Amino acid sequence: MPSEETKESLIKVVEVGRTILHYGWIPLIIYVGYTRSTPQPSLIKLISPLA
Amino acid sequence: MSAFPVQSPPSSSSTKSSAWSPFYAALSPFTSTYNRFSQWRSDLALPSPGSIENLQKEVKSTHLTNFIFDGARADLTKTLSANPAFQVTHSFSLASQTAPSSYNFGAVFANEQVFMQGGVDHEGSVNCRFNRGWSANNVTKMQAQLSSQAGHNMIQLEHDYTGRDYNINAKAINPSPADFSGIYVGSYLQSLTRNLALGFETMCQRPTPEMTEIATSYVAKLTSTDKSWIATALLQQPGILQATYWQKLSEKVEVAADLQVIAASTRRDAVATLGAKWDLRMSTFRAQLDSTGKVSALLEQRFAPTFAFIIGGEIDHFKNAAKIGVGVMIESSTLTPEEMGMPVPPQPPSYP
Repeated sequence: MPSEETKESLIKVVEVGRTILHYGWIPLIIYVGYTRSTPQPSLIKLISPLA
Repeated sequence: MSAFPVQSPPSSSSTKSSAWSPFYAALSPFTSTYNRFSQWRSDLALPSPGSIENLQKEVKSTHLTNFIFDGARADLTKTLSANPAFQVTHSFSLASQTAPSSYNFGAVFANEQVFMQGGVDHEGSVNCRFNRGWSANNVTKMQAQLSSQAGHNMIQLEHDYTGRDYNINAKAINPSPADFSGIYVGSYLQSLTRNLALGFETMCQRPTPEMTEIATSYVAKLTSTDKSWIATALLQQPGILQATYWQKLSEKVEVAADLQVIAASTRRDAVATLGAKWDLRMSTFRAQLDSTGKVSALLEQRFAPTFAFIIGGEIDHFKNAAKIGVGVMIESSTLTPEEMGMPVPPQPPSYP
């Protein structure tokens, strides 16, 4: 059984990871999609619903 | 000078094989039995049973419960790349009786090994989906729902292995590495004959480290030899039985029935649902009737390859209530038809 300090740091690590996932997931998909697509689209077409 | 003394490979392998051969000889009855068993098993040529998660997939795609909505909605999908697939979606929904107006931005990226999907709504809630296929049979999945409100977060890790005639799946929902609380689910489905598959799903709930609840449900699936009909039964722990039947009547018509019986000591209830789906050239029509007095229908009409119109309605005869939904789906692309690899018809994004 891990000690109290280990548990607390584990919970902190999970919390930080969750926050990174929350704010970083959509930018990550857009970055991966933008760099891997063939042909590369323009940024304005990526974000705007009308362009 | 090498820090690690390395033996020359040929000598090590030859000494190894001679040293191990008595062990192999001693084990040979077991290995030959195993080989005979696996040979016998492959001779049976049992089909893959699918997974427990997809047990009622056909019924769910025929019934309109997962497709109906009320109010108005618009989905603008933009395909930015065909291979690897990259799509962004802006969806607006308003005037619903049950949910407030919302805006959702979604992005999907997929290639042969990886599938990534994300959505964010106007309140900042994010949902994520990530699938990684290691081989044709091994898939690891991650699903998460993250919001700024505490207590509304969900994360699910899953691994799925499909064998020749069986499927194994393990899931962890909100697992905590500190005290191993969370929900853990394991399931196994095995084809016994060409038509019959049996399986079980065990769920272990640990809301706190001191409490552990285990519940097992049992599953049976009967498929006709030509796969034109599928019957399933799911028996859950406190007396819940769900039975479904799906049949493909012709190339364009599918019908499905679903019966849910709750026979617990505290509550006795049953709901039956009948539904049909017509797949026509430019439209899909679904109609459904259930024993709680609800009659509903949903029409998805595609006027052009890039423009679809959806109208759906439901009347609850017992409660004297009704709801209606209209929607448009507009698909655009920055690609030329040649780049998209035409003539592939654009797939409508599916919204449960």
